[in-house]
Amino acid sequence: MKTRLPDHGPLETPRFWRTLEERIETPEAQQAAHDEFLPGVVPTQDDDVHGLPVQDGFSRRDFFGLVGAAAALAATVACDRKGQGTIVPYTKRPVEIVPGVANFYASAFQEGRHVYPVLVKTREGRPIHIMGNDEHPGVKGKTSPRAMADVLRLYDPDRLRAPRLEGRTLGWMEAETQFHKALQTAKNAGKSLLLISGAVASPSRKALLANLRTALPTLEHLAIEPASGDAAEEAAKASFGQPVDIQPRLAKSGVILSLGADFLNGENPEALAAWGTKRRLKNAHEAFNRLWVLEGPLTLTGTNADQRLPVAPSRLGAVAFALAKELVAKGLPLPPGADLSAIAAGIPQGTDLPAKVWSNLVQDLRQAGRKAVVLCGAQMPAEAHQAAHLLNAMLGSEAVAMQPAEPLATVKDLEAAARGMAEGRYAALVLWDVNPAYTFPRATAWKDAVAKVPFRAWIGQVPDEAAAQCQLLLPENHWLESWDDFTTAGADVLQQPTIGTLYDTRQGEDVLLGAIKALGGQAPASYHAFLKERWQQSLPTGTSFEQALHDGLLKTESKATAPAFMGSSVAAATRRAAESNPEGLELVLFPGFATHDGRHANNSWLQETPDPITKMTWDNPVSVSVQDAQALGIQEGDLVRLSVDDTTLSLPAVIQPGQAKGVLTLALGYGRNTGSVAKGVGVNAFPLMGLDPASANVRKGVRLAKAGGKKELSRTQSHHRMEGRDLVRSLTLEEYADHPQGHHHGPELVSLYEDQAFPEHKWGMVIDLAACTGCSACVVACQSENNVPVVGPEQVARGREMHWIRIDRYYEGELENPKVVHQPMLCQHCDNAPCENVCPVNATNHSPEGLNQMAYNRCVGTRYCANNCPYKVRRFNFLEYTAYKTEPETLVNNPEVTVRPRGVMEKCSFCVQRINDVKIRAKGESRSILDGEITTACMAGCASDAIVFGDLKDPKSKVSQLVANSRAYRVLEEIGVKPAITYLADLKNPAVEGGRHAI
Amino acid sequence: MADAHKPLLDRATALLAGPFLLGQRALGLLFLPGKGTLPEAPPECATPRITVTPPEHAIKRRG
Repeated sequence: MKTRLPDHGPLETPRFWRTLEERIETPEAQQAAHDEFLPGVVPTQDDDVHGLPVQDGFSRRDFFGLVGAAAALAATVACDRKGQGTIVPYTKRPVEIVPGVANFYASAFQEGRHVYPVLVKTREGRPIHIMGNDEHPGVKGKTSPRAMADVLRLYDPDRLRAPRLEGRTLGWMEAETQFHKALQTAKNAGKSLLLISGAVASPSRKALLANLRTALPTLEHLAIEPASGDAAEEAAKASFGQPVDIQPRLAKSGVILSLGADFLNGENPEALAAWGTKRRLKNAHEAFNRLWVLEGPLTLTGTNADQRLPVAPSRLGAVAFALAKELVAKGLPLPPGADLSAIAAGIPQGTDLPAKVWSNLVQDLRQAGRKAVVLCGAQMPAEAHQAAHLLNAMLGSEAVAMQPAEPLATVKDLEAAARGMAEGRYAALVLWDVNPAYTFPRATAWKDAVAKVPFRAWIGQVPDEAAAQCQLLLPENHWLESWDDFTTAGADVLQQPTIGTLYDTRQGEDVLLGAIKALGGQAPASYHAFLKERWQQSLPTGTSFEQALHDGLLKTESKATAPAFMGSSVAAATRRAAESNPEGLELVLFPGFATHDGRHANNSWLQETPDPITKMTWDNPVSVSVQDAQALGIQEGDLVRLSVDDTTLSLPAVIQPGQAKGVLTLALGYGRNTGSVAKGVGVNAFPLMGLDPASANVRKGVRLAKAGGKKELSRTQSHHRMEGRDLVRSLTLEEYADHPQGHHHGPELVSLYEDQAFPEHKWGMVIDLAACTGCSACVVACQSENNVPVVGPEQVARGREMHWIRIDRYYEGELENPKVVHQPMLCQHCDNAPCENVCPVNATNHSPEGLNQMAYNRCVGTRYCANNCPYKVRRFNFLEYTAYKTEPETLVNNPEVTVRPRGVMEKCSFCVQRINDVKIRAKGESRSILDGEITTACMAGCASDAIVFGDLKDPKSKVSQLVANSRAYRVLEEIGVKPAITYLADLKNPAVEGGRHAI
Repeated sequence: MADAHKPLLDRATALLAGPFLLGQRALGLLFLPGKGTLPEAPPECATPRITVTPPEHAIKRRG
């Protein structure tokens, strides 16, 4: 049979590289690319992973002796019934549960001001998988990686299971008595009580806190989100006179300018969906936007930029105000009262912006007008935010929505609270789901201040650094066991429990309701009753609370009016921006992808998901630019001393291509002292935060020096490399427009095998690299769906991570500012699969529907298949990763997917359990399977809809139509394995070479 | 040859001891002292199982 390669792609294969060694072509890199696996993957002579040292001089006779003994032993042990479980039917089956049938509940997850409407899959009463709520008009069935992974936190073995007082376990009645007594004492004495909680995004929680304040007039409440960026809060107060929640509306965007904003990092599914819609081109004549990124650190948004320019964070404000000045010169009016006289005309000093690029940017913004939007990163200095607000006001941008938000306390407010505690102003301190003992930059001062408060209570799930400083610990429900409500754009969202409480825990709001009653106030019996009553008072006619619970939301029209921009705030901001110059190295502190502000640090799924930029797992090294690393003689993994003022951290360094010269980055949320997973992972970067809210996350005058020694990095960027082949393709829009069919000419392939027949279905997938942002939501979704084990940092360092889908990140071009392409890589389900031919026990074989499937109990672990897989997507269980786990950890397992033991090979199954589920349902309803009815976990998790799965035998299916796209190609098609996954080449729309103006 | 490094006695011991130990294990399984429980009896749990209960007042979307 003959197969022809598709004739598309660029004229010359671009040169892509993944590591610095590859880029500069060291002999080690060439050898590493040539070698099949990392040196550590395969057991060595000294390896004892199987419990036995590897012997040399192993004779044939001994081998057969052992084979005989093993066979006899296996036969004997197989007769043992020990450990056999018994399935017991329900004696009293709950009405909601039908064994073997999944239930879905709509609920909501909150992280700071972000609210994620979700759908929770439960099996036999256990929540096991989280996805976006498909009824919500904004998120449309998508959610964030951390929201998906948070199901694991429900089953965290470290959760506190009953109240504790001074280390003694007690019942709720006694605990509440103690709590109420302390509040009453404070009230009677007229002394203040300080309550510190997370962001208040719930109107019912806000009402509850108001009721509490009525019952306890001396209550002081601070809402903190330590990693969310105090500068954004300060800038909003200055520009609008109030805190605002800023949401990009990228569907309306033509030109996007990012000032260090990372809106494509997976946290904002709505932005990702709009981005994907704009980027999934069917042909070169469709409307396409352009993304400009000015940033110091390399962000995921920066990797997706059409034009990226490295600019130090301290200069962002000056650059943005200079842009405003250019736009004024081109005829855009300034808002009343705005004064830009402190800003010099032209390109600001201290930046390396080329004049041609600068004029292109100004022209792009001017031409796009209302379709242009400027977004600023939460961690950037306040003046950069104010410049972004000014630019949006001048452009009249339609692509950004602003709504008033509940205020957040900044680090300055927290410092004042610590002073108050030290002075003995507070009679009691209540910490509710926050951990200032860890997040406050001056931890020792905080500890000393807290010790001066007579009564300290902690409400939370896993005892943390703050809990260690409190006398009374009140265990709280996980959000999957709780009630709440939130306001989002387009809908009011409900959070409902999806499981009864696992332990003797209560919702924090219920604890406070009890306090209101004890203080003589009026309160309903539970927070559920409180919330229901509030909803029923405001429900429109024709709707019901029950229907809202069923849907998870009630659709609404936006009532809030966007706050007006105050031009008078500009002058002071421009002065600060003009004076803000780089002083030595600048350090940017940003929330960790896995940990955020540390609240997710005990989640092993997230810890093991490679950071989308550094590709680090289980650590937070400091990222250094290529130029600075060269100047300081720093190599990958070198231990360095990082000093800001009088605080010094010792940690490993990684070299990050694309990071601006003079800029260092470090993730927050690591270096915890508590939690069986989190403890000791990475270093705590909060002590480096500044106490000025306007620039708390950007520190100047940072000192960096080699400390001597090296650390082995659990970094996946160099893992599973495929030697120098045409794996990833990226086109400029102009190349695509000029040559829609491309230029890739391959040889005619001759196959020894007959084409297989697929009588009913032929499952296939298309991945659009232009829409994929590399956010890694697919990795987490797959981990949750398929019981993918966690292996830990030592095993990851040896290249033994188990993820069935990985994101390969390729650089192209110069080290200092390379272009980046992300490529999700998973089992390609080849028709002529090389892995199938070499399996001696037929454990991996081909299904009549085109699936490359695994029979786990047949696999004997020869690993021949992994050796023969050209895509390096097979994963071997070198150790027993799951069998020794007990409840509650095992409760998160998906019962539809086998948990694999040691010695077994595994890989992507195209979520065969989901395929079969739909097939069974369709058969029961006597109908055929609908296109789009089957969604793999990665597809369902992909917010930008870059992944499409379906039946290639159906010519009308979306996947069949996408396969015919002129950007389509298959990875390594030249070797004739006939993969079932088609990739669509990445597209970039640069403004200078090969670009055209955005529409 | 790797064989040349191993004394004959070691090999003979290994080949005889293997089947002997396996046989002992097999017999031990058949005639375990003090194991009077039925084979259907569930294994004893070291820690009490967590009780999973459905949520109160919640309304499911589908299932």
